[in-house]
Amino acid sequence: MANRKVPHLKFNLIVRRTHLYLGIFLLPWFLMYSISSLPFSHRSYLDAYYDDGTPLWVSRWEGNYYIPLDTETDHRKIGAQVMQEFDLEGSFGTYQPAPDQLAIYIYDFWNATQVRYFHDEKRLVIQDRRFRWDHFLTGMHARGGFQQASFLADLWAVIVDIVCVAMMTWVASGLYMWWQLKSVRRSGALVILSGTLSFVLFLFLL
Amino acid sequence: MYALSTVVMNHRDWVSSFYPETVPFVTESELTRRISFPEEASPAEQGRLVLQALNMEGAFSARRTEEGKLVILRNHPVHPRRITYETESGHLQVEQQPFEAPRFLERMHRRRGFQQDYLLEDVWALSVDLVILTMVVWAFSGAWMWWELKTTRLWGISCLVFGFGLFAFFLLTI
Repeated sequence: MANRKVPHLKFNLIVRRTHLYLGIFLLPWFLMYSISSLPFSHRSYLDAYYDDGTPLWVSRWEGNYYIPLDTETDHRKIGAQVMQEFDLEGSFGTYQPAPDQLAIYIYDFWNATQVRYFHDEKRLVIQDRRFRWDHFLTGMHARGGFQQASFLADLWAVIVDIVCVAMMTWVASGLYMWWQLKSVRRSGALVILSGTLSFVLFLFLL
Repeated sequence: MYALSTVVMNHRDWVSSFYPETVPFVTESELTRRISFPEEASPAEQGRLVLQALNMEGAFSARRTEEGKLVILRNHPVHPRRITYETESGHLQVEQQPFEAPRFLERMHRRRGFQQDYLLEDVWALSVDLVILTMVVWAFSGAWMWWELKTTRLWGISCLVFGFGLFAFFLLTI
């Protein structure tokens, strides 16, 4: 009888330990994603808090410059060239705020710099962003993807994937552990049902 | 939802490759309706009145184009719509964004804040805050429960040190 119970107990232990050690290892990411969600949710409050007269962007360099901005232009390639020329380092992204403009956004966890090119005026502006804790947190929250040519940036993106898999594992293992506790099955089922129902209602009513 | 949508955003190029012929909006209906606006009403106020007239109230953003058209984006979780209203002729075009799972997940992930004048939107924003609070509680209660299990302390400490060490390394390097 005792022997027949062993595989079940072993599986229980694997589920519990996976749940536990994944949680402990990823604790900094879990805390970061939760705390950094607050500035997203309460942006206007934080904008008002930091509204102290200090400009958000401070000019570092401004002058004449030429970039051949046409449909053939590889924006990332241009971005990398401009960064090299002006000794700017970090991950970056490019976008066109207007058809005659090109913006390069350069960032690490602590700093952000934007380069704006105005094709009509053949003018380039480089600006540094002031440090704000809410931007630090939201920057970390939003960071991800495999588009940077940096091994460490890719490694961060892999960790983001692991956090996602871990979250789904916590949900599945949490449900499994709840089902083992017979005394809370009924109340737990009620909570799951009401949670799912609220979510579905939001989908239709929002 | 938050875990799945993060996977989608982390692999946007790869996910997009499954949707090569994405259509932004498809016309749902066209009609003519005269809607009067108060003088000096902002695009947001006008947008609200148009949505009221169409019985489509909910989270939205509105802007005036250079041609004078009022463009309203009704941010419905499942079926977002774009409504274009020509004030002079009263012509209304209602377009719907075809459903695509990745776009739906990303929309849900980004939905937050108390900036809309709708009670239900505030309730959703409140539920987002509740998720945040719950995650913090899980983190600390989980750490406390781990500490109570003496047999797992050593491996747990190793995981904790490695996790925080790696996180700090990332903070200083990328």
